[in-house]
Amino acid sequence: MTKKRTGVFVCHCGTNIAATVDVAKVAHEMAGEDTVAFTQEYVYMCSEPGQESVVQAIKDNKLDSVVVTCCSPNLHEKTFRDNAQRAGINNFTCEIANIREQCSWVHKDKNKGTEKAIKISRSVVRRVNRNKPMEAIAVPVTRRAMVIGGGIAGIQAALDIANAGVEVILVEKQATIGGRMLQLSETFPTLDCSQCVLSPKMVEVKRHPKVKLMTYSEVQEVTGSVGNFQVKVHKKPTFVDPDKCKICDDCTVVCPVVVPNEYELNLTSRRAIYIPYAQSIPASYTLDEEACLGLNPIVCGKCKDVCEADAINYDMLPETVTEDVGAIVVATGFDLYDQENMPELGGGKIEDVLDGLQFERLCSASGATQGHILRPSDHKEPKNVVFIQCVGSRDPAKHCAYCSKICCMYTAKHAQLYKHHVPDGRAYVFYIDIRSGGKGYEEFVQRTMEDNDTLYLRGRVSRLYRHNGKVRVLGTDTLSGQNVEIDADMVVLALAMVPSKGTTEIAQVLKIGRDKDGFLAEAHPKLKPVESVTAGIYLAGAAQAPKDIPETVAQAGAAAAKVIALLSQATLSRSPLIAKVRPSHCTGCGMCVDACPFIAIRLENGKAVVNEALCEGCGSCSATCLRAAIDVKNVTQLQIHEMIEACLAV
Amino acid sequence: MSEQYEPKIVAFLCKWCSSAGSDLAGVSRIQYPANATPITVPCTGAISPMYILSAFNKGADGVLVSGCHIGDCHYIEGNYLARRKMHLTMELLKFIGVEPDRFRMSWVSAAEGAKFAQVVTDFVNDLQPLGPQDKLKKAVST
Amino acid sequence: MINIQDIRDTARDMLAKGEVRAVIGYRRGSRGMLAEPAFITSPEQADELVWDPTCFHNLSLYLVEDRKFLAHLKKNSDAPIAVVAKGCDARSIVVLLQEHYFKREDVYIIGVSCEGSGVVDERKLAPLLNGFQASNAVFAGDDFVFTTAQGEKRLPAREVMADRCLECRIPFPKEHNVVFGEDKTGRELAAPFAALTRFEAQGAGERWNFWSHHFDRCIRCFACRSVCPMCYCDECVVDSITFPVTPATTAEEKANRIRWIERSATRSENITYLMTRAMHLAGRCTDCGECERACPVNVPIRLLNNKMEREAREKFGFEPGASIGGPSLVASFLDSDPGDFIR
Repeated sequence: MTKKRTGVFVCHCGTNIAATVDVAKVAHEMAGEDTVAFTQEYVYMCSEPGQESVVQAIKDNKLDSVVVTCCSPNLHEKTFRDNAQRAGINNFTCEIANIREQCSWVHKDKNKGTEKAIKISRSVVRRVNRNKPMEAIAVPVTRRAMVIGGGIAGIQAALDIANAGVEVILVEKQATIGGRMLQLSETFPTLDCSQCVLSPKMVEVKRHPKVKLMTYSEVQEVTGSVGNFQVKVHKKPTFVDPDKCKICDDCTVVCPVVVPNEYELNLTSRRAIYIPYAQSIPASYTLDEEACLGLNPIVCGKCKDVCEADAINYDMLPETVTEDVGAIVVATGFDLYDQENMPELGGGKIEDVLDGLQFERLCSASGATQGHILRPSDHKEPKNVVFIQCVGSRDPAKHCAYCSKICCMYTAKHAQLYKHHVPDGRAYVFYIDIRSGGKGYEEFVQRTMEDNDTLYLRGRVSRLYRHNGKVRVLGTDTLSGQNVEIDADMVVLALAMVPSKGTTEIAQVLKIGRDKDGFLAEAHPKLKPVESVTAGIYLAGAAQAPKDIPETVAQAGAAAAKVIALLSQATLSRSPLIAKVRPSHCTGCGMCVDACPFIAIRLENGKAVVNEALCEGCGSCSATCLRAAIDVKNVTQLQIHEMIEACLAV
Repeated sequence: MSEQYEPKIVAFLCKWCSSAGSDLAGVSRIQYPANATPITVPCTGAISPMYILSAFNKGADGVLVSGCHIGDCHYIEGNYLARRKMHLTMELLKFIGVEPDRFRMSWVSAAEGAKFAQVVTDFVNDLQPLGPQDKLKKAVST
Repeated sequence: MINIQDIRDTARDMLAKGEVRAVIGYRRGSRGMLAEPAFITSPEQADELVWDPTCFHNLSLYLVEDRKFLAHLKKNSDAPIAVVAKGCDARSIVVLLQEHYFKREDVYIIGVSCEGSGVVDERKLAPLLNGFQASNAVFAGDDFVFTTAQGEKRLPAREVMADRCLECRIPFPKEHNVVFGEDKTGRELAAPFAALTRFEAQGAGERWNFWSHHFDRCIRCFACRSVCPMCYCDECVVDSITFPVTPATTAEEKANRIRWIERSATRSENITYLMTRAMHLAGRCTDCGECERACPVNVPIRLLNNKMEREAREKFGFEPGASIGGPSLVASFLDSDPGDFIR
């Protein structure tokens, strides 16, 4: 092996580095390294003349590798690798030694800072010494996308992707698309009807030639990686042929089974054969297999007998289909925090204590009461309604630490809606503080307080219980410092938003991370808000964090734009820094196979073989191998060994 | 002049969380001792116990391993594998009588610059009273 | 009680029918009473087989050796090889199977139960024989009976049994093709990890004094590695002289060996070697105790391996050699793995 000719370029970054690191000394020390053929310092290496000097120095000194000691590789690694390439050497022979963020900015003592900068630089010089030229791996792209979750986020993302001419598969777990938004009555701050704005989009999804809709279906397994995922989707049988179903409702009339209607949040009941809403897409009935007496004409068979369209088929089987897609948008939405977690507020057992979504259904023209606000216990109009904000939110000790963000607004909306329905009623709102950032939001809240005569009480509610046919609310008004006792006809809890049931499982299936609260984790809190940590998988809507409809729609559009950009490329380039097996040392024990999070390693003829399309280069295999028979390219154990030595050299 | 003893620390940082977290400490100009020299690896899951033993063998007074919080691993499972390996490594070190404070593992996210600085500060403070690590350190003939 | 004749009959029968290439078992050695590994390849030799309290070798080592020898000859195995295996030995075989070192059908496991007893520790026995050498040893219920020039000497088995046998939790080869002797799993001779618990009760300083004393004496003869069926690597990561050079080995590969430790048998290098070995055996060592027995300078290597075994068991619910199909200790994890130590 001929000796490397490494160039070390020490950046002053103005005074950012030079003030606390003796850059001349760093350059001098690096010049003493066996493999270093050239060193240079410059005030701003990333400036145009700085970059040119790097290119020139590589050419003039016949350098074959480069170390730039400067800021974090997250900033200028690409810059200098491009320069290396411009100068005619391989870009992967260029590495960054971070002596700014990890050194000069955090250590005032110049001697100590300089000493550490030398160690960091030396260890990177040693690493580069064994770097191999690499070419990025080109992977062909499947020009199709999948959107998981058919709420407003998923619908928007699917339409945006489809309108760009990319085929998209929209997978929804429930019998209809529409999600939470379809359950809402009106939306803040305009009070326009939720279904009225959503249903045209639902119809568009249904009719769009580029959208393949799969309702009553769940994603089961995902393999592959960015550009080429294989997704197994399990489609549950509805036992009703949507093409034949005329939605005449004859079947529900005869169905003898009555179960709580989850689409109406159990405020009403439905039959075993049902249609979630009048606006359901697909517009077809679904036979709930669990509730049905047995899918058997001998046992019941009434719905089948009565169906003139002959749409009911008891022999329909579940199907599993595999779809090849290049990108995935996850929009699995939210649930409300479980009332069982708050026994002091009745734990969900007090009648007339509703959650926000139940109240939406009471207000909704298509809901259980046809838009009349009637309390569930006696179907009378409530004259006293207490709305409680932050139930389960902003309570790190017992419940969710975060703010659910939309509750201030929808509570204000609820109070207004209530007052519109029951003008002589009294509305109270318990709040901690009002968060109404957003276009027209603050004005909306003010309208609730002033024009709609709602009494806002700043404080928490300590207890709810039944009392003389009413719900007694015990709370405090922290502004007046007094305890408050209200006998309410109805109480509405603005429960915290939590990731929807099944988010954990879908995150595992997709191999994407979740944050501390269980929401799907974005790749970077600021710069990659719609990307998941796994390339090619994007996030939209409340599955990522609590958010309102406009934000959800915006994020869905952003996710769609990312998908379209990704799929507009013929091939993708992947980092070539992936695992490599030394067959001479591999005994085929299979520990790397077990350790690999990406199922990228298999045994073939008693040796480990890496699937280059799947390997992400995490190195779990390498750390697990007992014989150093598998390494991540350019981050080999040999390189780390020499870096450790360099870090500890005096 | 009596100089304060300065422990030498090798800090293995995962690229996605802790190295980014230490970058944030830098961006936020949070000062901490200069004793820890970082080696950035793709993932804590890529850290072989051999690295820890070798660092001590080569004269480290302390070894820090830092990566993404559980559930946040860029590679989904790498930090789970690391947690198990590093537990075993740490237990073995303690078993033969190496001071427990010489090995430290910490979860530092990309957003936890202040935590990174604190982790290093605490580690240096805990190492100072222990003095140089000579149990595993290679005796060098000069 | 195991009747040795049954084992001999099985071996003879299989060899006569050509069902196995060879039977690896124990025979009377040339050194006093001690049994030694035997490679029986013809039916006539089957009567040489013995089973007594000195059968301490873990014969699974020879399955590894056989594999390497076949590889050297570039030959495939044409018939399985049979091996006599105690509980711990059979678990070693399971680990080897788990690591795909050979296939299950390549090995015929003749399991022998320790039947609530175990094998002798020569170092415990020597002082109790009044300077005489034993020429024979037999199981006799709770006792071992040794034949010396003075006649028969009956000793309580517990007094001369190896510590690992006293502490053994599963003295029965669960994985086997045929098994002899009664399963007495659950017998309590001493608490599991008793020696380890005693050792760990000491402070860090005492522990270090203990280990530094032993690490200083290690001569890095690698006997522990040679005798260990799990140390089957051609190249040991901590010993670059075992680097395997094949026609495919490039000059670069030769140059790029990692020198994790120096070859000199100094304390720091010995520590790094023995700790690395303990790490590499975590979840794989089945406590056959051969490393410690083979050590010429009495380094208590078993303690290190025991420590890892107990961590694996108590913290990760992992039992080495429990199942062929399961993942290995360090290639798997549980959500419940301890994380309290992480700040």
